[in-house]
Amino acid sequence: MTAEQEFPRRLELECGPVTAVDLALFAAASGDHNPLHLDVDAARAAGFDRPIVHGMLTMAYAARLFTEALGAGSVRALETRFTGAARLGETVRLTADLAKVEGGVGHYTLGARTAGGTELATGTARVARGLRG
Amino acid sequence: MIDRSRIGYATEPTTVRVDGWRVKLFCQAIGEIDEMHWNPAAARAAGHPACPLPPTFLKALEGEHLSTAELLKVLDVPLRGVLHAEQSFEYLAPVHAGEEVEIGRTVTDIYDKKDGALTFVVVDTRYSVGSQPAARSRQTIVVRNRLPAA
Repeated sequence: MTAEQEFPRRLELECGPVTAVDLALFAAASGDHNPLHLDVDAARAAGFDRPIVHGMLTMAYAARLFTEALGAGSVRALETRFTGAARLGETVRLTADLAKVEGGVGHYTLGARTAGGTELATGTARVARGLRG
Repeated sequence: MIDRSRIGYATEPTTVRVDGWRVKLFCQAIGEIDEMHWNPAAARAAGHPACPLPPTFLKALEGEHLSTAELLKVLDVPLRGVLHAEQSFEYLAPVHAGEEVEIGRTVTDIYDKKDGALTFVVVDTRYSVGSQPAARSRQTIVVRNRLPAA
């Protein structure tokens, strides 16, 4: 099997629509209780029309792209730049495209968009198959 | 304006235990359904010595040391104009539920963009288990200094 065949060329995952319960659960689980993600008034004070999805929730979804395809422990590095904000009720669509394989490590470029096409995040990931030795 | 002398501010590292129940709650919140993250038997069957963490759980663990909201209080930055701009993790060794993770955070940079309308704060975090480095992360926070009054 060639290195390219060991890593899927493209991975996709759709998460959501993200509900108020999802955001409350993530606030509790992550310890990020910023009201920007939970409260309409706080969101408006920060310049948004409704609560926004935690960037770290979008990033957690991005990590799932890889752990679901390649297994827990496969992610060696993950980097995201939050270029937009998903709002409460929106769906987050994640994609990863294989850029290269080097030394048994797959290098991916990452993207996250709403179902409507608004860009939420860009990034990169390095993943390896199998458990770390 | 954030005091630039805060560049280099570093926390005294503390040790945080990875609570399996918290990992399970985190999995529930992010839609992770692979029970190896909370069921030790499932983890062992998959070849892990104990339950592995979802990759970004380290950010939740970091909050038990010193959350970014608490760090921003130290820097006298009001939370209202703050957004998460960038986040990266590099994983050096696996971390499992039940382990003790030593965490320390350092403010590595503070800089302005757009004539001071935006201030960026860069925070590096180190995680180690049993004195061996387990991961490194970098968070970039953006502070919108001219957000209109609510």
